[in-house]
Amino acid sequence: MEASNVPALRQQGAVTAKSHGPKSGEYLTFRLGSEEYGIDILKVQEIRSYEQPTRIANAPDFIKGVVNLRGVIVPIVDLRLKLNCPSAEYNSFTVVIVLNVKNRVVGAVVDSVSDVLELNRDAIKPAPELSAASVDTSFITGIGSVGERMLILMDIEGLMSSAEMGLMDAAIAA
Amino acid sequence: MGDMTTEGASISAGIDLSQFYQVFFEEAGENLDNMEQLLLNVNVEAADDEELNAIFRCAHSIKGGAATFGFGDVAELTHQMETLLDKLRRHELQPNAAMVDVLLQSGDALRAQLGRHQGSGGDVIDTTDLLVNIKRFVEGGGAPAATPAPQAAAAPAAAKPAPAPAAAAASATKPGTRLLEMQVGPLTDLSLADNLVELFKEITDLGTIEPLDAGQSSDGMRRFKVLTSSTDNDLLDLFTFHVAREQVKLTPLGPGFGFYDGAPGAPPAEAPSADPGYGFFDEAPGMPAGAAAPAAEAAPVAADAAIVPTRPATPAKAESKPAAMDQTTLRVSIEKVDQLINLVGELVITQAMLAQNSRDVDPALYQQLTSGLADLERNTRDLQESVMSIRMIPMATVFNRFPRMLRDLAAKLGKKVELVTQGEATELDKSLVEKITDPLTHLVRNSCDHGIEMPADRLARGKPEQGTITLVASHQGGSIVIEVRDDGRGLNREKLIKKAREKGIDAPDTMTDAECWSLIFAPGFSTADVVTDVSGRGVGMDVVKKNITSLGGTVEIDSAEGYGMKVSVRLPLTLAIMDGMSVGVGDECYILPLSSVVESFQVQSNTIKTVAGSGRVVEVRDEYMPVIELERVFDVPRFDFEHVSSIMVVVEAEGGRVALLVDELLGQQQVVVKNLEANYRKVNDVSGATIMGDGRVALILDVGSLVRRSRH
Repeated sequence: MEASNVPALRQQGAVTAKSHGPKSGEYLTFRLGSEEYGIDILKVQEIRSYEQPTRIANAPDFIKGVVNLRGVIVPIVDLRLKLNCPSAEYNSFTVVIVLNVKNRVVGAVVDSVSDVLELNRDAIKPAPELSAASVDTSFITGIGSVGERMLILMDIEGLMSSAEMGLMDAAIAA
Repeated sequence: MGDMTTEGASISAGIDLSQFYQVFFEEAGENLDNMEQLLLNVNVEAADDEELNAIFRCAHSIKGGAATFGFGDVAELTHQMETLLDKLRRHELQPNAAMVDVLLQSGDALRAQLGRHQGSGGDVIDTTDLLVNIKRFVEGGGAPAATPAPQAAAAPAAAKPAPAPAAAAASATKPGTRLLEMQVGPLTDLSLADNLVELFKEITDLGTIEPLDAGQSSDGMRRFKVLTSSTDNDLLDLFTFHVAREQVKLTPLGPGFGFYDGAPGAPPAEAPSADPGYGFFDEAPGMPAGAAAPAAEAAPVAADAAIVPTRPATPAKAESKPAAMDQTTLRVSIEKVDQLINLVGELVITQAMLAQNSRDVDPALYQQLTSGLADLERNTRDLQESVMSIRMIPMATVFNRFPRMLRDLAAKLGKKVELVTQGEATELDKSLVEKITDPLTHLVRNSCDHGIEMPADRLARGKPEQGTITLVASHQGGSIVIEVRDDGRGLNREKLIKKAREKGIDAPDTMTDAECWSLIFAPGFSTADVVTDVSGRGVGMDVVKKNITSLGGTVEIDSAEGYGMKVSVRLPLTLAIMDGMSVGVGDECYILPLSSVVESFQVQSNTIKTVAGSGRVVEVRDEYMPVIELERVFDVPRFDFEHVSSIMVVVEAEGGRVALLVDELLGQQQVVVKNLEANYRKVNDVSGATIMGDGRVALILDVGSLVRRSRH
């Protein structure tokens, strides 16, 4: 089941990546460990400090649980665990980026939020061909270079709605 | 009626009528429902006058509205229905079952037409057959209609043109007060005319009425002197409820004429238009005295007329209002109510939060604060109850559709079925009412098709020829229970088990009756020997069960072969808010629906016994119950390893009980049920989530799923 799903997913991810393309626009940048990522600012609803979520039994470890966001129950995903960061600590700098993807609200835990950057087309390089060892590369749409910094641009909508994330029932994710 | 003319006038004023469409559709729908109810209740052998009048009024109201809003097809059909109904209520025709059928079908056609106008699509509804049928009934009764008298033959001829010019005159002006002579007749029962006098007493703005003939009548005619500010059309419409339009003749009376002429706003065209009425009047053979009357009465009337100007003309406007003014209900869109309920839900959470945070406040120091908080708590609860009650509607809205359905169904199947309903006033959340209608319809169909036997079979079994289906709704605790009972053949245990085995369902002979009956909920299961177009295809009971379960309800079946069967549907009163019991496991808190909690008690570890090494049971008053450790189900992390859970909460669902092992009982509170699937997905053994007083999320346990878990 798992094995047969994975290639299909990667393909789907690739298609999404292509259609979304590394487009110019404003990106919200955040850090996961030593890596810096950028996501489309239009998918971001708000940024909050981390609070202890209510654990959900038998969920994958990167789903920390659910929190109350002004009366709405929102699941919290720790991107550091999802993207295999060496450590995932919860301290006063840990923040939650509340995303609005596919009409759903999802919170993503990151180490810190840096800034909002305007990236034009020539600042975005195509994503390098990485070995297929890590499935997550399929959601990388390109590499943005701003001075010395290297931003990994991510299709956050595709990542959050992917089946392996298990955030949504299959029908909605499709 | 006054309303109608006002709206009619607004057409010419170019006001957009579409804003009133919705109101018309809703009212027409209500009138149709009402008419159907009444038609079903009509006893064709001895129809009650009041019932016939009420049916007529329904058709009449729909016709009026449809004509105003320009729905010609609806108006045309209702007009024909009205004609037939009018003849019926005047006893010119004898009602029969065929007429009731045609009228019911017409009602369906009207509903379809209205639906089409309302934008739900569909083809143009062909009503030609219905119209022809109705006309045939109307004409079929034409012969008796002619019998009443020679006057009748003459009167309609004379009367027909009369209202027309009068109406023309009326619509041409917004009249002030005027004096009319009204002739009513020919009447078979003279006291009918007295109803008109009563009418004037009831509607004070209408004006005054005085009999001109002191209750005496020579030829079945009654004459009245009327002082009114209403138009002829309005008056005739009002009178229609008591006497036929054709039987009423309105003629301006002497001084009234003068008044008219004097009125500066009155167009000159009016006097001539009234004149022909006078002419007709003279020629009408049935009323020789009529012509003399105005002259004879002229003098005293003049005195009356002198008083007329002192009565201001303003009542003319006020007259059309009362219907709208004493309205005691308000139509509000469901979204507005839902928004209100959501806000109240948030308020409940905030209130709980405040209550929790102020627990440690010293009441002696902050007396006002604590009393304020206590008030807030009480008011919040009251507010919540009142808001929730807005959405509550009586079960009658569901039950009312069944008499018609059963009537058609029974006729199709050749059975005789009587429907008995109880507890129609039981209230249920509107969203639940909508969702329960289909499953209930299915159950009632099933009872009629499979349950009730053919009349001959029933007689052979010593039962009354007519079968009875009983619908009962009642409140039981926090739930509503709806029962569908029939006195038909009931379920056959052997047949069920045989069928189940044919379908490959595991069905041991040792099954309890309850388990056996619940076999019919299996997908594709049908015990009907013959598949009819009504039921028996085996799609249904599983869907019924699924729908009810998805509403948080349960279905139970009880049956005795040969005596009938009972299906009980148990539903929560509302889906949005429930009473919950919070239990602590480790550092976590879970909510149990209070309605499913039976009891809780402390256990000694030695009373928990194991079965086959792993399954654990506890003995409660000579009953062994499976034990479920919430800690294991939810994989709760533990830091205090010495701690032993020692509290059992017995919960009941789907006919089974389990004991949940928890650390502590935290309390009871109302919780606002939130959907986990809105942003996440379905979680096993969890039915939803809620927000606790401290703002944290707590999961609500799905007791049904926990009980099922213990069975496997």
